Amino acid sequence: MANQLGFHVDLSKCTGCKACQVACKDKNDLPMDVIWRRVAQYTGGEWIKSGNQYVPSNIFSYFVSVSCMHCDNPLCLEVCPAAAISKNEDGIVEIDQDKCVGCRYCEWTCPYGAPQFNADKGTMTKCNFCVDLLANGEKPACVAGCTFRALDFGPIEELREKYGHFDGPAPLVDPSVTKPNMVFTPRKTVTMTFDSKAGEIANPEEL
Amino acid sequence: MGQNQPLSQILDDVVLTRRSFVKWSSALGGTAALAGGLGTALHSAQTTEAARAAESTSQLITTACYHNCGGRCILYADVQDGVVKRLVPDIDEVDTIDQPRSIPCLRGRSQIHRVYSTDRLKYPMKRVGKRGEGKFERISWEEALDTIASEMKRLKEAYGNESFYFHYASGTQWPGPNGRNPVRRLMRLFGGYTDYYGTYSSACYSAVIPLITGGINNSADDMLSSKLVVLFSSNPVVTTSGGDNVGYHCMKAKEAGARFICIDPIMTDSCVALEAEWIPINPGTDVALVAALSHVMITNDLYDKDFMAKYSVGFSEDTLPEDAPKNSSWMAYVMGDADDVEKTPEWAAEITGIPAERIVSLAYDMAQTKPCAIFQNLGFQRRAYGEQPVRAIPILAAMTGNFAIHGGSTGGTVGSAGGIKMGGVPTGDNPVKGVISVFMWPDMITRGTEMTNGPQDRIKGVEKLNANMKFMWNHGGNTITNQHSDINLTQEILSDDTKLELIVTCEVMMTPSAMWSDILLPASTGFETDNVITGGGSGRVAWAMYSHQVIDPLFEDMPEIWMADQLADRLGVLDEFREGKETTEDWIRFMVDTAREADENFPTFEEFKEIGIYKKTSPGQKIGAAAFVEDPEANPLTTPTGKIEIYSPTLAALEDPEEIPAIPKYIPEWEGVSDPLRDTYPLMMITPHAVQRSHSTFSGIDYLEEAHHHVMWINALDAADRGIENGDTCYVFNDRGKIEIKARVTPRIRPGVIAVPQGHWHKPDKDGLDKGGCGNTLTKYYPTPYAKGNPQHTNLVQVEKA
Amino acid sequence: MNTKEWALIAYTILTQMSVGAFVILGVVHTLALRKSNEKEASALSDRALLAIGPVIVLGVLVSLLHLGNPMNAYRAISNVDSSWLSREILATVLFTGLGAVFAFLQWRKIGTFQMRRILAVVAALAGLVLVFCMSQVYLLDFEPAWNTAATPITFFVTTFLLGGLAMGAAFVANYSYLKSKPNLSDLPIQADLLRTSLQWIAVAAMILVGIELVVMPLYVAHLSNGNALAVESASKLTGEYGTIFALRLALGVIGAVLFSLFLYMTATLKKDRQMVNFAYGAFAVVLIAEVMGRFLFYAIHLRMGI
Repeated sequence: MANQLGFHVDLSKCTGCKACQVACKDKNDLPMDVIWRRVAQYTGGEWIKSGNQYVPSNIFSYFVSVSCMHCDNPLCLEVCPAAAISKNEDGIVEIDQDKCVGCRYCEWTCPYGAPQFNADKGTMTKCNFCVDLLANGEKPACVAGCTFRALDFGPIEELREKYGHFDGPAPLVDPSVTKPNMVFTPRKTVTMTFDSKAGEIANPEEL
Repeated sequence: MGQNQPLSQILDDVVLTRRSFVKWSSALGGTAALAGGLGTALHSAQTTEAARAAESTSQLITTACYHNCGGRCILYADVQDGVVKRLVPDIDEVDTIDQPRSIPCLRGRSQIHRVYSTDRLKYPMKRVGKRGEGKFERISWEEALDTIASEMKRLKEAYGNESFYFHYASGTQWPGPNGRNPVRRLMRLFGGYTDYYGTYSSACYSAVIPLITGGINNSADDMLSSKLVVLFSSNPVVTTSGGDNVGYHCMKAKEAGARFICIDPIMTDSCVALEAEWIPINPGTDVALVAALSHVMITNDLYDKDFMAKYSVGFSEDTLPEDAPKNSSWMAYVMGDADDVEKTPEWAAEITGIPAERIVSLAYDMAQTKPCAIFQNLGFQRRAYGEQPVRAIPILAAMTGNFAIHGGSTGGTVGSAGGIKMGGVPTGDNPVKGVISVFMWPDMITRGTEMTNGPQDRIKGVEKLNANMKFMWNHGGNTITNQHSDINLTQEILSDDTKLELIVTCEVMMTPSAMWSDILLPASTGFETDNVITGGGSGRVAWAMYSHQVIDPLFEDMPEIWMADQLADRLGVLDEFREGKETTEDWIRFMVDTAREADENFPTFEEFKEIGIYKKTSPGQKIGAAAFVEDPEANPLTTPTGKIEIYSPTLAALEDPEEIPAIPKYIPEWEGVSDPLRDTYPLMMITPHAVQRSHSTFSGIDYLEEAHHHVMWINALDAADRGIENGDTCYVFNDRGKIEIKARVTPRIRPGVIAVPQGHWHKPDKDGLDKGGCGNTLTKYYPTPYAKGNPQHTNLVQVEKA
Repeated sequence: MNTKEWALIAYTILTQMSVGAFVILGVVHTLALRKSNEKEASALSDRALLAIGPVIVLGVLVSLLHLGNPMNAYRAISNVDSSWLSREILATVLFTGLGAVFAFLQWRKIGTFQMRRILAVVAALAGLVLVFCMSQVYLLDFEPAWNTAATPITFFVTTFLLGGLAMGAAFVANYSYLKSKPNLSDLPIQADLLRTSLQWIAVAAMILVGIELVVMPLYVAHLSNGNALAVESASKLTGEYGTIFALRLALGVIGAVLFSLFLYMTATLKKDRQMVNFAYGAFAVVLIAEVMGRFLFYAIHLRMGI
């Protein structure tokens, strides 16, 4: 897709504050439990005994802000029985609310947790890249609202040229399956890759 | 709460969305009023967003986010067909270090959910049950104001104005017409009230920084020149998350290549985001670390001797004042000449929990990396002996030669480059001269007439108080319970309404403190009234915002200026109160006039209201105390001696060397790392700031509670000992109370320490178990020795799985 | 557990049981024809055939409960191209429709026997395709607890185990009915057919549970050697849900092995009353075991990623 849009997250700038999440929810008027953009805290390391003291050993932590990846190979689209999910000319994966049956099957397939059930509507909903704002020349709410300028968006090819191709930081999954259109700038210090077992998601209850 | 049912039903039913707004508006028979015109940036480079928005039906109207994080961020309301559809951050297209966009943090972005919160106060109410029981009855504004006026007259007659108290609060601390100033002005015109000194944020800092450097420091953007930044007890990306604040500038400095070190019992989000080296220190032991760092620098000749000799008082014996006793210098303390204990890295390792070799390498790092900015923030001064670390950190800044250079620091909190000067509603002079420590108001209730300027109370302005507190005005504050120490003790004191006879709370929310009030006055939020807010200044840009009213006041909420004006009438001081200014607009015009006197570019009232935002840039990168270093005789510091006062004659004169030493010292804390009480309560509880709240403001706001759950941090080792897994519900308790909170099991906190983020609303069940998980249910009401400040990070507790 | 999953448990169990019952019934009918005539074979199986109808209809109706927007349910066959779920639903519709047409024709004896038989075979194939599609629905890249061969194997085991035992119970009920209406059939022939059928069903049940008992430990071992989430699923199965898992296996053994063994023996020994009890008992116990098994299937899965 020539015009495929994507996101960029600079992991070295993300402070885990979740202004992106709240900006997204405010703009899209999302009910509780529907969180189109979420931020995972990936943390590892331990305290070990040294002499009569405990000292930190390889303790690290970082945050990964994730929305829909608008994948090249969106599994949600493939499995949707109602053919309610489509990819538009900008590569934005959208759910047609008039077609969705609310079976929640796509929820099981997406490793990024993008499609989410809106109990008020009875349908699946997801990040639509703020298409209405884009049409108005505005940035997506999350990008405009990132307090520490960690988020960017644009044609994915341009983003890759500018920021590189890294798309598999832990705790995300192997990107080769769905081919996500999101690139990450790794941190200066430690950024684990998707196959790492060095840490775990520290805030699962918030995702 | 005995509130009008149908309306409160509407409130309770709404799901806090824009749909609900429509529901509200129609229920109240009104539509949103748009007080102002289209707000856009002042800069000639009009943003495309704004231009496009103007073409469509939507209007971006300037409002503000204005809470006590200090952020003051720029927020636009996207108003479509009379409804606030969404909030939009600063739309300025320019976003450089010279003129950064002021992007509000998550708290600001959830304002719609705060304004339409089900916790909003809707009507004036009076208490009908026992105080604190939570039983209220709706009354009219007429009745509320009449009652307050007649009670104020009665109490003044019976006990005098000294029995009046205007309580510390940070909910509406800006100086404009819809803030706390109008009521203060009114109360002063009515004869005054006993005032307070200090704040719950910075009691110790404000008390002793004037006695070491005076507090002047490099502006935040000057960190761009730093090679190394050492942060003591500082978490700026959380505490000042949005806008042009310290968090922003730290991240910019990192981007520019500065290396960071965070000295803190927890690996804060700042430590994570700044990719800083984390030096996990035992709470309350920072002075021991500073002493050992000094020891390494002294014994290895790593410090600037000439600088210390020329600019400091009491670093070495030769720079002590003449009347100072022998061996009372910092060097004598460090080298053990004073007490036979050499403050070696090994000595400090035992106390701080930091390995001796790490202390040595840190000392070399700080001494040999230049420029190195050594900053402190306020966390560690909210402790049992909070005065000490405040005065210790600047010694390192001076020793390492980083005092008053670009990229350096004077060792205090981060400075500012200058803000925008605007007027405000003047409070006038307070005829009552007695001033108590901000933290000690409960003592004024129980034993006010016994309070003196002696060591126990350290009241100021007068030798002793002549009245107990009988009338309290609590204006936008949650410090009657939630934010004060030892909630259970505090409530016991408040429960006797023959002592403190009347508590008036002016609030937007039914806070835990409002629950303990006698009369509740529902105030408008910033969305419901015009106001002026100024912000910025930590770097190169400062701004003033015309915060427009974007919706009709909900229910019977009223602006603060109106309340004060009404009371002034009832108390017979209307003319003096008004001085010709009646409305919000009159007062804002007055503020604008003041601003224009100081800055000829400041727009006129009409322009300001139209454009909404005025930004002013400055060259930035201000060096604190540059003039002093250039010529200390001509440009002395504001300290009593005019120098870096490591030895304070002021403190020496108090003759309390154990708890108020003349030089900063490590004083083992009660309920600290070495208190034998740890046999019973082994864990040290700190109560740090949470990113989802500004103190207790925003507690309970759905979007924020969802984004960041209220959790207690506990080290995996301590959790394992107690069979606690991540996400388990736990009890935290000591002799003062018990709270319920979920555990976040993490390596990001020192073993032996737990962190219960401050500000979550107290919510006791019938047995007194605080289901809200408010840390202050467990904190101790025990003022610090000199500042009489709040030691809310010094607590011993035990944790068990629920 | 929310209602969504209960609906899926009910739907998958009921449809699989229906498919299994239909296929088993076809086999039994074919064998009965060899041993007797069309009248007696029909007397044995026709009422059992009709019993399948309400079961599958109930299954389909329950499945609607898990939809957030049931008004759009008809759209769920829009993506047969790439969605196994669409294929599953289409197969459900085909199986139910063909089965209903066949049942109607068979009941009224409309059309030739050959024609009905072809229709029955097509319906049975649709049913097997349905179970196959249903198992494919769960073979998802990021669902390690589902994405294993155990999913199709256990789905087919459930299909034939529950279908067979359900039919066994149905035959017993049918026989009691025939005894009360002596003019409908030749009772001694029916008794003989019943015993033979039950013997075969009992043997089949024991083999199927045997497969389950082999697959389950292999499944747990497979998960335990998988990625972090697979390990977590395995530990849920043996830890958090360990009691249910053990109970589910025990009930499978009790129902299919013990009861079926006794059923086989009583059928052989012509102890009618006990045979009836064991036929009902085996079905009931195995049904509970399979519902528990399906509960666990949904309870332990964890999706990878965030």
